[in-house]
Amino acid sequence: MGGDPGRPMLTVAQVLEPLARYRTDEVVVTTMSVVRPWGLLSSSDLDFASADSAMGHAADLALGIALAQPGRRVVCLNGDGSMLMCLGTLATAVGAAASNFVLVVCDNGEYEITGHQPVAASGRVNYAAMAEAAGFRTVYRFDDAHAWAEAVPDVLTGTGPTFVHVVTEPGQQGPIGRSGKEQARYLQHSLAEWSEIMRAALSSGV
Amino acid sequence: MARRTIDGLMRAGITHVVGIPDNTSGPLFDQILRHPMIRLITVTREGEAFAVAAGLWLGGASPLVVIQNTGLLEAGDGIRGTAQRMGAPIPFMVTGRGYAKMLKAGITRDDPRTRELLTRPDVDSTALLTEPTLDAWGIPFRRCDADDDPVLALEDLIRSARDARLPSALVLTRGLD
Repeated sequence: MGGDPGRPMLTVAQVLEPLARYRTDEVVVTTMSVVRPWGLLSSSDLDFASADSAMGHAADLALGIALAQPGRRVVCLNGDGSMLMCLGTLATAVGAAASNFVLVVCDNGEYEITGHQPVAASGRVNYAAMAEAAGFRTVYRFDDAHAWAEAVPDVLTGTGPTFVHVVTEPGQQGPIGRSGKEQARYLQHSLAEWSEIMRAALSSGV
Repeated sequence: MARRTIDGLMRAGITHVVGIPDNTSGPLFDQILRHPMIRLITVTREGEAFAVAAGLWLGGASPLVVIQNTGLLEAGDGIRGTAQRMGAPIPFMVTGRGYAKMLKAGITRDDPRTRELLTRPDVDSTALLTEPTLDAWGIPFRRCDADDDPVLALEDLIRSARDARLPSALVLTRGLD
């Protein structure tokens, strides 16, 4: 698991690039350390950055979209610190039987945004086992870039709720803002503005 | 009353009820669980309810959050960081634990929150802190007291949340019976 440089793990780019390659009309909700890297790969109206001091609620928000849009796949790119803040979401997703919900935990073992402090039990939490015990229908764990890249089409089309635990290397992301200085399109708008953009895209059936 | 409440939610276009039950809202949750049109999403923590509801709204649904005031106090950043910052018109009903005790003790929300008051065994500080907290968080709210009709109040709440384009609350100091 993340936080241990001796263990096999993926870079953030190795996690995101295959997902961007195979992504079609899925909603992608990002949070914390993947917000900027994903925003450089994609400028879709169907991307959503839960980056405003989100206190681990990105997965809850993505679950809500999935429940409102049962015909569309919704992928949440969560972090391990965020997941730990809202572990109850695992039970909520299973209870709601969100078969179109894909929850990816990028486990880098640390709070990267705030300066690389380790999360609780860094590198020792088996998130895949937690999701399996909570009742997720499909659960994956990856620490190899090739295996992940090969599995992405199945992850995006299988029956969920689906959980993916990806052991990742810490990156170098700092605090995230919303302004014209950010390169990622979804960070160039206020959260309220972007919410309207996404609502319009979802209601038009993009 | 629970059945009448659901009829009111249907008229107001509510598609999902998201929350955690207490003794007051339990009968409503029981009815919604069996309802063919309104879907119940039971969460594990109140802050989670607001993020799920915000996501439902993004996806085009019209959710109502139902929580107790105890849970409201833990849900602060869940409201602020999702629904409020998004400008999502999420109506939420807060069942009011402790209001009967507060009334019996002759205390109002405006009494100074001294150590003596906050630690009094005959006062439930949850009720004492509910409305000042909503005020501090910038959440429009109204109360539904013993003489008010909860169904009409709920329909009014849903309309006003949509008008304000913000999460807005109804504090229920009475039962739903």
